[in-house]
Formats: sequence, C-alpha cells, structure tokens
Amino acid sequence: MRVNPNYTPELLNSLWNVEQQEQNDILELSTGRSVNEPSDNPAAAAADVENQAAQGQNDQYLQNTTDLEGMFQTAQSTLSSVVTALNQAISAGTEGANSGLSASNLQSLTQEVQDIQQQVVTLANTSYEGAYLFAGTVNTQPFTLGAGGVQYNGNSGTNTVPIADGSTMQSNVPGSQIFLGTTGSVMGLLQQLVTALQSGNSTSIGDATTAVSSALNYVSQESGFYSNALSQLNSNQTFLQQETVSLKTQDTSLVGVDEATAATDLSQATTAQSAALAAIAKVIPQSLLNYLQ
Amino acid sequence: MGSLSFAMWTAAQALNVDQEALDVTSNNIANEDTPGYTREVPILQENAAITDGNITYGSGVELTQIQSVRDQVLELQIAEQNQQQSSAQAQTNSLQQVQSLFSSSTSGIGADFTAFFSSLSQLSTNPTSEPYRQAVLTAAQNLAGDFQQTESNLDTIQSGLNQTVGQTVSQINTITAQIAQLNPQVGAMQQAGQDPGALEDQEDELIQQLSQSTNVQVTQTESGVTISTGNGTPLVVGGQSYALQTAEGSSGMTDVISAQGQDITGNITGGTLGGTLQVQKQDIPSVLTQLDNLASQFGTAINNAQGKGFDENGNAGQALFSFTAGAGAASTLKVAITDPSLIAASSDGTAGSGGNIANLLAVQTAALPSGASPIDTYSNLVDQVGNLTSQAQTQVSATTTSLNQLNNQLGAISGVDIDEETTNLMNYQRAYEAAARVISTVDDLTQSVLQMGASAPSAP
Repeated sequence: MRVNPNYTPELLNSLWNVEQQEQNDILELSTGRSVNEPSDNPAAAAADVENQAAQGQNDQYLQNTTDLEGMFQTAQSTLSSVVTALNQAISAGTEGANSGLSASNLQSLTQEVQDIQQQVVTLANTSYEGAYLFAGTVNTQPFTLGAGGVQYNGNSGTNTVPIADGSTMQSNVPGSQIFLGTTGSVMGLLQQLVTALQSGNSTSIGDATTAVSSALNYVSQESGFYSNALSQLNSNQTFLQQETVSLKTQDTSLVGVDEATAATDLSQATTAQSAALAAIAKVIPQSLLNYLQ
Repeated sequence: MGSLSFAMWTAAQALNVDQEALDVTSNNIANEDTPGYTREVPILQENAAITDGNITYGSGVELTQIQSVRDQVLELQIAEQNQQQSSAQAQTNSLQQVQSLFSSSTSGIGADFTAFFSSLSQLSTNPTSEPYRQAVLTAAQNLAGDFQQTESNLDTIQSGLNQTVGQTVSQINTITAQIAQLNPQVGAMQQAGQDPGALEDQEDELIQQLSQSTNVQVTQTESGVTISTGNGTPLVVGGQSYALQTAEGSSGMTDVISAQGQDITGNITGGTLGGTLQVQKQDIPSVLTQLDNLASQFGTAINNAQGKGFDENGNAGQALFSFTAGAGAASTLKVAITDPSLIAASSDGTAGSGGNIANLLAVQTAALPSGASPIDTYSNLVDQVGNLTSQAQTQVSATTTSLNQLNNQLGAISGVDIDEETTNLMNYQRAYEAAARVISTVDDLTQSVLQMGASAPSAP
C-alpha cells in the first residue's frame, strides 16, 4: 500500500507538540501554577477568582481582629487604670472618714480625690488611632469637667466590625454605659466624695466612699466586656488562621502544580523531543538513491 | 510480414515513449517539495496489432496521456477542514488576547473587588479614620480604573480585528481573481482531452488558500470550478470573479458586502474571516455586555447603599460611582466623589458611626439583578472567557489532527515518492537502453544485408 512519502510535516508537528509540552511544563514549574490562563482550566480559574476573594476577605477579618485587639487592650488598660484610681479614691475616702484627721490632712485627701477625678476624666477621654474609645459614635471629646460638674458629650451608639463570615463584633462600649451607671456618674460620685471631704463630715465621707465603691464595681463589671471580647478575638484569630491555611490548600489543589508530576512530564517531553529530533535526522536522508551507485 | 524497418520503427517509437516517461519522472522529482504538486504518471498503451495473413504482429508502444493522480473528494474534504481549522485558529489568536485581560486572580477587577470591600471592612474598625476613608476611595478608583481599562482593551482588540477582516477580504479577492484566470485555461485543456495537471495543481492550491480565508462551496462544472460562499454568494463563475467589499457597520465594525451589494457578514462562518468575525461580532460583544452589566449593577448597588447612610458631616450619602447605564457602563465607571468624608459610613448621621458600612459590605455577597454576587459574576465571566478560548484551542487541535490525516491520505495518493520515481527512472532507463540496443542490432543487421549485396561477385 502506498503511503504518504512526505512525512516531514507530521514529524515537525510531533516535534512542535513536544516542544509546546516542554514550554507548558517549564511555565508550570516556574510559576508554581497549573492554571496560568483561564483556558488552561476555566472552572479552576473561575474558582481561583473566588478563592482569592475569600482569602482577601479572610485576611481583612484577621486585620480587623488585630485592630480590635489593639483597641480593646487599650480600652481594657484604660479601665484598669480607672479601677486603680477609684481604689485610690476609696482609700482616701476611707482614710477621710476617720474622725481624727486634721483639717490639713482632709485638705490633702480632698486634693488627692480631685486629682483622681481629673485623672478619671482624662482616662475616659482616651483615644485610639484618633478615635475616642468611650464617645459612642460621635467624634468629639466625650467628657468635659466644668463648673457644673462632668458633662458627657458622646452618645450611646455602638459600632460593629465584621470578624468572620456572618459574624460581627461590637467594637465599642459607649462612655455613658461605663461611666454613667445606674448609681450616678463615676466622676459625679468622685465629686460627691470631694464635697464630703471638704465638709469634713465623717458620715458623708463614708457614704460617698461607699458610693464610689459601687461605681468601682460597676466599672469593673463593664470592663468585663473587653476581657470577654479579647478572649473571643483570640479564638477568632485561631479560626481565621486555620481558614487561611484551608483556603490556601484549596487554592493549591485548584491551580497549584504538582511539582513531581510536572518535572516528570518535563523529563518525558525532553526525552520525546530528543527522540523526535533523532528520528528526523535519521529518516529524512534515507531513500533508494542512497543505495544506488 | 515483418521487416527490419518495422522493427526499427517500433524501437524508435519506444525510445520516444521512454524519453517522455523519463521527462515525467524528472518532472515529478523536480517538484517533490512543490506545495500543491500532484504527481503525474505516463499512461502507456500497446499499439494496435498488425495482422498479416494468419500472423498478428505487435506494433510497439505509445504514450496516450500524462495523467495527474488526484482525488477530488479528498481535496474537497481538506478544503472543508481548512475552513474549520483556520476559523478555530483565528478565534484562538483573538481570544488569547481577550483572556489575557482576565488571567490574573491577584490583580485586575476580581482583586479590585476584594480590595474595595476590604477597605470598607477596615473602615468599620475606625469610621472617622481619614486614611481608612481615603483607602476606600483609592480602592474604588482602582476598581473603576480597571473596569475602564478592561473595556478599553476589549474595544482595542475588537477594532483591531477590522484590519484582519479587511486584509482577509483583500486576500480572498486576489485568490478568486487568480482562480478566474485559471478556470478557462483548465476548461479548454480538458475539452481538448489534455491533462491540465499543472494548472489544476495551481487552482487546487488557490482553493485551499481560499478555504483558509473563508467558507466556500466548490462545484466542478464544464467551465471549470464554480466557487461561492456558504450562503451561495458567487465568488468565481467560469472566468469571472466577484470581488467582496468591506464597509463600516454598526459600532465602527467592518461588514463584508457581496459584489451584488448585500451584507453577507452573518453568513461567513469559516476560515480566518469567519473566525475573526465570530470573535469580533459575538464573543467580544458578549463579554462587553456582561462587563457593562456588572459595572452598572455593582455601581447601582453601592450607590443605593450609600443612599441609606450619612457622610461624616451628617448629610445623606451621595452616589459613590457615576456611570452611563447600559452599554458602555464599564468604560464610564468613575468615582463621583473626591472628598473621603463623603463616604456614607454612618447610619445615624454621627461622624463616628459605621452602621451603614454593613449595607455597603452587604453588596459583596448579595445577588445583583444578574442573579449572582459581584465576585461570582466576575468569576463566571472568567469561566466563560476561558471556555471560549479552550473550545477554540480544542477545535484547532482536533481539526489539525483531522487535516493531518487527510493530508496523509492525499499524500499517499498524490505525493511524489522518490523511491518510486527512482525505480521508474531505472525501469525507463533499462527500457530506453533496450530499445536503443534493438535499433543498434537492427542497424547491424541492415548493414549486413547491405554488405551482403555489395560483396556479391559481378556477373561474368
């Protein structure tokens, strides 16, 4: 049977196919991806778009978690300082309630409590990254101390921050909730203690000190929000880090390259190329003419 | 009865025939690598016998015809495969440019969506942060910029194909004019009983080239081949060719017009022209429409969410994006505000509220009117572009394999085999040498006869 005598186009096609395979293998090994263009695997390329979006979103959840942690740690530290200050005020009140104190001692204690009151106002006006921690959702200094006592300029609004798919976390506790408790404002109760100390009335001082103790308990209780939130954020961070690993693993299975397979393919393609070149070099010169003298 | 002169005449005729057969072999060898060449074979026939009484003598050999060995059915099948392969190749070439706009999952529109929503999410941690607000604006500008750039690049690819359409139509006209010139010559030789092998080779080669350019129907008639486009628009009839024309159609895209003035763009499906028109008039417009819908629906959704909130100054949120609805939405998508404080993060009018960010972030996962979220819609588009390109590549591969098989079959019939030609060469050489030896022998015999007469003793 007669065969096609001009088989060089087919040999060249084979060679080109092998060389194309080599280029693909090299591209996959150099990029670490088996899908470098959508046409390589359209479904995987589309899934990769969604996976990258999910990874980006997850990264942002992690960033939000870190941001909240910084903010909450500052808030917790601030409230801890408030509790310390209130404890000092209670000590001063307890000491002032002692009827044997001299006027100068009372004056000294009064000054100490006034300083504590100022310190608490300053702490209540703490800001983090330019935002007041206890102003609710307004962006003005929440507490001002004037002749008429302490005034709260914030509101009772709260914000939420997304920390995972379908999960948000309250990002602030308004100052009205922490410092304007059911027993009166913390700063107002400190003012009552100042007034009592100034009066020198042991009973009044004792009552005012008890009221400050109640405020301390209230503030301590409110600061529990931050402790719980930090614990929750810590768990969330662990979850998100696992999610990141999971998404990256998923992405690798979608578009990543199996390096061992790609390297083996490349090796086979190189061998096939050598074989094709050898075949072309060997076959083309052969004809009957080679055997005629 | 036989005679030396009859033997001499028979041998001389054989010499001529062998010489002509050697010419055919020589021509085959000379054209071994000529594209489109069809091998020729000398058709030898025994001369009519001569009867003398009860004895019949053979009267030698004659060359009746030099015949090209071709298979017209296979040639038509190859033309058909050429149309499909060239169409798929043209689609692949253009779609590879298109898919490069959607290749990266870490940059471009998909990544911009993620960056935009991440910036909003970050803003929720500190709604009064100027850098965070600016980051939202920057991410929105990047997204709008990439929508514009992608649409602009698609437009450039689409309008660039006008040049391919024009060049291909020009090639088609050149080829059909050449076929029209060959047609009468081929017909005349066929009517004269001659083999128009070389001319037919040229014509076949031109038809294959034409098939690579567009889909054609080829019909053999008494006046040569008649060639028409897929819908029957004549391109070549006898010695007359009908040139196609181009004209600017809708949206600045080139249309193909028949010599009779009809727009036949929609009927061209094969060859480079068909593949190019497929991408230019169907594939790219489909991608553009989806891109425009995505830009428009996403912009509307974000603007609606903005409208539900308040900016940092307590005013009702205004549109974040501006765009022309419908066609061209992607190319006109812009960020409408430059002041970061105008981002409507607040749900109650207070500057520090981030309550409306939830509404803005909800756009990320909520279904647009198209039925999917923005990122899902975009990934569907990536899938579609990838599939279009992959299908075209697969078709190139399949048609190339089929074309190779057909060319192999045709090569087995029409290709020049040097081994075969060398064998023929030796056969004709031996036959020539034998005929020459007969002539030499007959000449010797004739000399002997003549000398026999010359050496006879004179009469006493």
